Amino acid sequence: MIEFYALPNSGIFWSWPKLVHYTLVALAGGTALLTALAALRHDPKLRTYAILAIVLIALDMLVLWAGSPSALRFTHIWLFLSFNPQSAIWLGSWGLVISALLCLLLALNLGPRRVWGGILVLSALVALLYPGLMMAVNVNRPLWTPLLLAFFPVTGLLIALAAAVVLRQRWLAPWLAGLSLASAALGALYLADLALGHTEAREALAHFWHLGGPLFALGLALLLASPALIKRLPLIAGLLPLVGAVLTRSLIIDIGQFQPFGF
Amino acid sequence: MPRYAMAIDLAACVGCAACSVACKLENEVPVGVNRLWIRSTELGTFPHLTVEYRPEQCLHCANPPCVPVCPTGCCYIGEGGLVLLEERRCIGCAACIAACPYDARYMHPAGYVGKCDFCEHRVRAGRVPACVETCPTLCRYFGDLDDPNSTVSVALREAGRVDVLRPELGTKPKLFYLNTPAKFGLAGNHQEVVS
Repeated sequence: MIEFYALPNSGIFWSWPKLVHYTLVALAGGTALLTALAALRHDPKLRTYAILAIVLIALDMLVLWAGSPSALRFTHIWLFLSFNPQSAIWLGSWGLVISALLCLLLALNLGPRRVWGGILVLSALVALLYPGLMMAVNVNRPLWTPLLLAFFPVTGLLIALAAAVVLRQRWLAPWLAGLSLASAALGALYLADLALGHTEAREALAHFWHLGGPLFALGLALLLASPALIKRLPLIAGLLPLVGAVLTRSLIIDIGQFQPFGF
Repeated sequence: MPRYAMAIDLAACVGCAACSVACKLENEVPVGVNRLWIRSTELGTFPHLTVEYRPEQCLHCANPPCVPVCPTGCCYIGEGGLVLLEERRCIGCAACIAACPYDARYMHPAGYVGKCDFCEHRVRAGRVPACVETCPTLCRYFGDLDDPNSTVSVALREAGRVDVLRPELGTKPKLFYLNTPAKFGLAGNHQEVVS
């Protein structure tokens, strides 16, 4: 039996505003990537995508700031007055800000469109990649495995595409099917990787399954169901992976904060 | 430059928690969070039983995973190898809390991260940390690892076996445990303390 005098600080440190942020950053990064592709292809919808990306980035940053325990200390300015490229959060912050700036230039049709589009591809990818990186670096938390480096960008892009399909951007439907299947495969691989891992990983998987296993399985099922409905029911086919991706990502973020050392 | 470290003799620790109380008072640690706590674990099987009282706090790792993840550089390795925080630059992102394998960090209600700093303000003034000074059984040793005559160096040299927490993570802690139950074959199923 283990008892404590005073307790280790092993509680939840990322609560619901962080989960909202992880969904918004996926929407923002994915929309920024669509904007970049539209710029490179001279798509007439470029301006719409660019404005939508700016709104989503601004909303995401607002949620991050408002949900931060240091919101009223206004210390976030230090993100942009320091140089720490080894930190995923620093990279993500700059990725979002640069994406917003480039989207603004594209929306106003200022400067070389193809150059801005090329740079925007990179900054949008940074925004999509950073959540997975932020978790994968924590080797002490067995549920945050290196597989998240693939799972989070793929599901992030899926969330943005699914939302676009729901908003009647039907030309994205074929991409949606591929990303849904890739996300479901990565989700299943994530579980298999934990199940076949060392003792700590298996214990963590048992903990994960106990708290959110059925919901995670439901999320994977929604991802798998989407491709079959794309031609007949495109709206539903867009909604299913949107819910599935948000659900699976949120469960990994929330339950993944578990660390066996604490208790 | 010194390389500060601490060693705790678990055979001498009686779990009185005076160190925890002293830490709270010295550093004005808010209610509900802790820089230092005591883990008591029953170990062994009858008739070879013991209770381990293990004080835990920031281990001031030589290879701290909390430092590189900080996006503003407010978490850094300071003078003497202490892992320190510059509160005015902290954005409360909790990346360092996520990275700490020892649950040693907490979110201060004022919106920044807090943790044990080996009472840096006292060390700078030539004193030992409050937990060391207050321990009634003198089970804590503090000093410079590079000074062979410091109390911590002597204690480590004479211990025979030195344990650290979660060595498999490669963090190279500078908080050492002496005379752990593992030394006497009573580690039970607890894997944290390994030579």
